Amino acid sequence: MSPETAHVRVSHVTKRFGGVTAVDDVSFEVPKGSFATLLGPSGCGKTTTLRMIAGFYDPDLGDIEIGGRRVNNLPVHRRGTAMVFQDYALFPHMTVRDNVAYGLRVAHVSGPDRTRRVDETLAFVGLGGLGDRWPNQLSGGQQQRVAVARALVIQPQVLLLDEPLSNLDAKLREQLRVEMRILQRRLGMTFVYVTHDQEEALSLSDWIAVMNAGKVEQAGAPWEIYYHPRTAFLADFVGAVNLVPAQVTNLADGTATVSFGRHRAEVRRPEASLRAGQDVRLCVRPESFTIAPEGTVASGISLPGTIVRRAFLGDTMRYWVKVDDREWIVDQPDPGGSATLDGPVSLSLRPDRVHVIAE
Amino acid sequence: MRSLRREPALLLALLAVTALVLLFVVYPQLQVVLTPGPGGYVQYLQDGTWVGPLRNSIQLTLLSTTTAVVLGFIYAYAMVYSNMRWKPFFRLVGILPLLSPPFVVAAAYTLLFGARGVISYGVFGQSPNIYGLNGVWGVQTIAFFPFAYQLIADALSRSDPRMEQAARNLGAGSWRVFRTVTLPLSRPGLGAAILTTAIYILEDFGNPQLIGGSFYVLPTEAYSLISSFGEFTSAAAVSTILLLLALGLYLAKVRLDGGRSFVTISGRASSMPRPPVSAAVSRACFVACFALAGIILLVYGSLVVSALTLRFPNNLQFTTEHFQYVLSGTNGDALRNTLVFSGVAAAISAVFALFAGWLVQRGTWPGRRVLDLLLILPAAIPGIFFGLGYLLAFNQRWLDFVDRGWLIIIAFVFWNIPVGYQAAVAGLRQIDRSIDEAATSLGASSIRGFRDVVLPMLGGSLRVGFVTTFVRAVTTLSLVIFLFTPPTTTATIRIYQLVGDLNWGAATAYTVADIGMAIIALLVFAVLARGRIALGAARA
Amino acid sequence: MTPELDRRKFLKLAGATAVIAACGGAPAAAPSGSVTASTAPKATGRISIYSALNESTNNQLFAAFTKATGVEVAALPLAAAGDLQTKITAEKNNPQADIFVGGSSEFHDPLGKQGLLEAYQSPNAKDVQAQFKEASGLWTGWYTGIFGFISNTSRLNADIGGKKPATWDDLLDPVWKQRLILPDPIKTGGGYIFIATQIFRFGRDETKAMDFMKKLHPNILSYGPTSPGVITSISNGEAAGAPNWSHDILTEKAKDPTRVDLTVPKDTGFEVGAVSIVKGTKNLLGAQAFVDWVLTKDAGDLNTKLSNRGSVRTDVAPAPGAPTLTSVTLVNYDRQWATDNKTRIQKLWQTTVGIQ
Repeated sequence: MSPETAHVRVSHVTKRFGGVTAVDDVSFEVPKGSFATLLGPSGCGKTTTLRMIAGFYDPDLGDIEIGGRRVNNLPVHRRGTAMVFQDYALFPHMTVRDNVAYGLRVAHVSGPDRTRRVDETLAFVGLGGLGDRWPNQLSGGQQQRVAVARALVIQPQVLLLDEPLSNLDAKLREQLRVEMRILQRRLGMTFVYVTHDQEEALSLSDWIAVMNAGKVEQAGAPWEIYYHPRTAFLADFVGAVNLVPAQVTNLADGTATVSFGRHRAEVRRPEASLRAGQDVRLCVRPESFTIAPEGTVASGISLPGTIVRRAFLGDTMRYWVKVDDREWIVDQPDPGGSATLDGPVSLSLRPDRVHVIAE
Repeated sequence: MRSLRREPALLLALLAVTALVLLFVVYPQLQVVLTPGPGGYVQYLQDGTWVGPLRNSIQLTLLSTTTAVVLGFIYAYAMVYSNMRWKPFFRLVGILPLLSPPFVVAAAYTLLFGARGVISYGVFGQSPNIYGLNGVWGVQTIAFFPFAYQLIADALSRSDPRMEQAARNLGAGSWRVFRTVTLPLSRPGLGAAILTTAIYILEDFGNPQLIGGSFYVLPTEAYSLISSFGEFTSAAAVSTILLLLALGLYLAKVRLDGGRSFVTISGRASSMPRPPVSAAVSRACFVACFALAGIILLVYGSLVVSALTLRFPNNLQFTTEHFQYVLSGTNGDALRNTLVFSGVAAAISAVFALFAGWLVQRGTWPGRRVLDLLLILPAAIPGIFFGLGYLLAFNQRWLDFVDRGWLIIIAFVFWNIPVGYQAAVAGLRQIDRSIDEAATSLGASSIRGFRDVVLPMLGGSLRVGFVTTFVRAVTTLSLVIFLFTPPTTTATIRIYQLVGDLNWGAATAYTVADIGMAIIALLVFAVLARGRIALGAARA
Repeated sequence: MTPELDRRKFLKLAGATAVIAACGGAPAAAPSGSVTASTAPKATGRISIYSALNESTNNQLFAAFTKATGVEVAALPLAAAGDLQTKITAEKNNPQADIFVGGSSEFHDPLGKQGLLEAYQSPNAKDVQAQFKEASGLWTGWYTGIFGFISNTSRLNADIGGKKPATWDDLLDPVWKQRLILPDPIKTGGGYIFIATQIFRFGRDETKAMDFMKKLHPNILSYGPTSPGVITSISNGEAAGAPNWSHDILTEKAKDPTRVDLTVPKDTGFEVGAVSIVKGTKNLLGAQAFVDWVLTKDAGDLNTKLSNRGSVRTDVAPAPGAPTLTSVTLVNYDRQWATDNKTRIQKLWQTTVGIQ
């Protein structure tokens, strides 16, 4: 991406706390108007990175730019960012209206203008009419919307969100996820979002950076992260996966031939450099399979096996299928439509759904 | 807050707070501590006259703390756990001793329990010799158990009733639950309560001075070195010994309770009921509290009687002449001074302590541990040396344009910083950092965020700081005795003068007026603050 | 505020004096400190007085002074002269007091030695005996107090057999065991003067005096922290009797003549109540006017009436019933020696009776 379109740029940033390196030489760029997510397990440095962008922490090394301007020496309140906190951090001694109006008051926005903008924003997040409530009179979801409204109303250049949905129950989380995405599209505002929930990251983001142990392991579009993880950690972290040891037997233009167990398959060649004879791992998502009763003729790679266990997950049926000595996880979508399988089955897999991880 | 470099205003504020603390705590105290010089210390330490008072101080502190804590514990247990009647009454009586100048009360004890005491001799026909160790021990026990009660009740009421419910549910009896669940859980709070009581007793001057006879403890030794030998040097050395002892206790206490050194006297019942104790225990509690409250009421009742009679205890004819005296001419000025000085100092001290607490607790800058220590240091400095330090440091010709009242107010402010400061730190610990971060992230500077968000949320800590400073300022004699000038005489000074002048009737009338004024002021404050009266158990 | 004003006024006045002197219209300018009252400009303004006198005495005495001279008084009364002495010492960078009045000369003398007092030879001190004033005028005595003995009449009759002590040695009788209170020799001036009196009584034989104090110790119920407080204790009957100041005993007796009584044992000591000017005073003329005034007969009469103390002036009649320096047998009290050896004697006594 060109430097002009990068709205937030983090270059070679390092942050240590005592002897622990929380963020280790991290660099990335977030384009203007995009929804960028920092994803990773707890302690990976994602929140620290976000807080450095906000200005709550100073980087030990490296630069942070917002809108093409280096902000290392700017205090929090001069950075043009606004933050939505994990626990909302609503001011308990102010009403909803006063909470939302706070940033405008600080910016000396005049009374009538302020009232108008507060009302608009509250209506925008679906809280019209609740302005006179106190924070402790609101449900978790409503509090979360106030927190977002409070940050949005000051029209920040960049909105920073630190696990804003993690305190909500699953159903509400899903609903707000959709709303959040619609909101961001409508405003065209740059969002930098931190979460440990891969589903959330995949469903919301234009761009994801997966962090582990203070480093960015991989960054890119959600599908790229999901289907073409660069490491086993990534593959495992971003959803359920089958990681199968294999060996490269032949390399051709754009394809690679790999062997695993008694099987052999020709798959898409990954970007990473490979050589013949190299040990690799195959990464196959459970939903990439087609499962059918034994003997069914299938296209692509065909693997005969036996069902060991199964679990009903609602929208899918998950099987553990023994193929040779290994168990594979296989998801069958829309299980209500077909009878539950048992015993020997036949799995089939399109070669382009097999991703090779070179390690 | 993260980076002081990025916010010059914050850096300035920090430098200002540090400078004020250095100027009004460290500098005056150094004047006292450095007075003897190294040679002076060596000579005084070799002289060895400090050994006796030091031994006496330690002995007395151990004895009085033990008994005061035992009685305070009984009172606290009864208040927190039993279902006895008259609890609001007992709570009120427990506050009285915190509001009165100690030396008047000591004098009242001799009139009641002395060799020809109204109670000891008049009722029981006994002539106990209350002068000396036993007398001071007894008086301190009665005088300080209410402090121990406040602190222990606070520690006990912090234990979670749900745990006790659970233990009872598992089949343990009420005493067993108390012993095996409540006590272990509140051990740090109890330890801190004991140490705090010990510091008050260690630094108590009025009671040993009036009743100690020739039983000298460190504060009375220091005072008599000053007032009779004129040995300012040796007195400063004694003060330093006392300061080190008190500081040691104080640091141990801060370590134990993690900075909670305040008590909240709540008018409201706890939302979750504690499991009931048996009716027999409640009855026993009632009897014990009744006896203890009786002693307190007797003392304060005798002050009122004495204020309204010609010559207590020898001539009990009713008169209003003592109160007329208090209100006549310029005699009431000292009451007004006390009200103004204490009120202004309490307001400034509470806000300043809160701001300093915020800077230290939320800050990440180097050296905050040192500022932390300096902010709790005044708690270990005996009032008389705090005042003397101010006189040495600030009685300068070029400062004459400043009204002397301000010097007294500033002394009140900084002497009482520790309670408000620790209340602020404790309060801040309960407020997530993200609340102040939210304000800055919405465009407010750190200091603006403190004003708009932190300050209003720390109402409780602010009240603790205000009320404690007010109460201590109203009751202290030692701090002002070297600072006052004729126009800035305070109520305690007037009482001291009247006691010294053998005008016992006027002295007690003045004391009753002073306590009454303090209670009214606190009630007004409680109404204005629309909240509970939080009272720090602290006094000179 | 006012002190500043006072100083300006004083400087103006001083300047005017100098101009007059320069013009030769006035007698040759005398060195400062010896300006006589007749030629000095009239004292005005206000003076600040640190007073160790009783409250009731203060009010009337100072009111009379203001009436006589027009100089206003801001009084800071503290019954403990030692507190005032310490306060003046600690304030030496910027003295707040113009006058230190009351308390025996022992409290004034060290201040003079430290250079904290302004020497002033009042014309009215001319006739005061040398033993009652400091030679260079650092302090001047203006009243006297005699050490006596207060007894609680009912306890004296019940426990002691009604016999008041004629000599100090009478107090060693075991009948007094635990029935005496002595003002604390460390904390009070009176207590120290009592010990010094014993030393002079034994012809400066400190060993004998300490032996006396040691034998007295078992008879003492307690050492009282203030001299007036001891009088209250005796009045309340906590003990049968106590050595104390005659004038204070008389004041207590006036409240209820049947309750307590005064005797003055043979070979007793006395105090000289002093007045001094604090160096650095902002109203020297006013301060000098005060010293001049307390040495007048009017002031002496008033003080005698108010406090039952004696006066250094021979023309002031003693209060009714009050002992005078000539009516009692006094020890040969060497005030300078007593003052100079105070700390040493106090410590010697502490070790002797084993008090620490």
